[in-house]
Amino acid sequence: MERALGGVPRVAVATFGHTGTVSRSATAPPEDPALKERFERDAMPLLPSLYSAALRLTRNPADADDLVQEAYLRAFRGFSGFEEGTNLKAWMYRILTNTFINSYRKKQREPVTVHDDDIADWYLYDKLGVAGAEASAESEVLDKIPDEEVQRALEALPEGFRMAVLLADVEGFSYKEIAEILEIPIGTVMSRLHRGRKALQKALWETVRERGLVTD
Amino acid sequence: MSPIDCEHVLQQIELYLDGELEVSLRVEVHQHLSGCNGCLDHSAFQQRLKELLRATCGCNDVPAHVMERIHAMLADHPEPLHPA
Repeated sequence: MERALGGVPRVAVATFGHTGTVSRSATAPPEDPALKERFERDAMPLLPSLYSAALRLTRNPADADDLVQEAYLRAFRGFSGFEEGTNLKAWMYRILTNTFINSYRKKQREPVTVHDDDIADWYLYDKLGVAGAEASAESEVLDKIPDEEVQRALEALPEGFRMAVLLADVEGFSYKEIAEILEIPIGTVMSRLHRGRKALQKALWETVRERGLVTD
Repeated sequence: MSPIDCEHVLQQIELYLDGELEVSLRVEVHQHLSGCNGCLDHSAFQQRLKELLRATCGCNDVPAHVMERIHAMLADHPEPLHPA
């Protein structure tokens, strides 16, 4: 039923805004004006979610602007290789993450590796419980954390963890889809998700404490 | 088959909430949760965390200039190109 994400354009020669002509191979498939229409119809509605992902990946609006534009250019150029009826959202995310890894990551300063061996599985839940929140109130504390702080906590995760948590929890991709988007084994997806979520809980707990959302 | 215990259920919660458990284990976890308030609280908390991320991290407004530049890119090209 599901297919691998084939035909992702890996190398974009031109940068965004390039206006020159691009040579076409003799074996290129016939041009199809309906492709552009289909791209506008199907790919453009994904822009808000891809732009948000670009923000989480680059952690700054100027780079996010460039990243999402370059990803859309690559996607448009390679759209004839996308098989209609397969998973367009996953295909677009694979282009976005590839573009990020190849072009933008070099500019980023990565956070130091998270030492998560000492973070318990239920770190935040346990901390909130000890802090005296009633069982159901533990979830209510989460609602008091400002949106920007949640975004910051996600953005502070090391890149591998951040991409896995973003794809699973924010975008709702399955493990199999994430494995295909990031080109990693499913076991690695699970491990990154588990460790990423633990690290995220630790960061959120620090926010909760700094903001005095619980009294400990 | 003996019902699974709390420790085993809590180990499976992430996969359960991610919809990644195979069906027989999913049913077992579901049945355990319906009768165990402790595990149900843990599960609800983890679910709330997932919802929080989804609600806060995926819905930034696209700046008008980004939208305009992508539309301009599409307008520049009558159809997708076929690079060699």
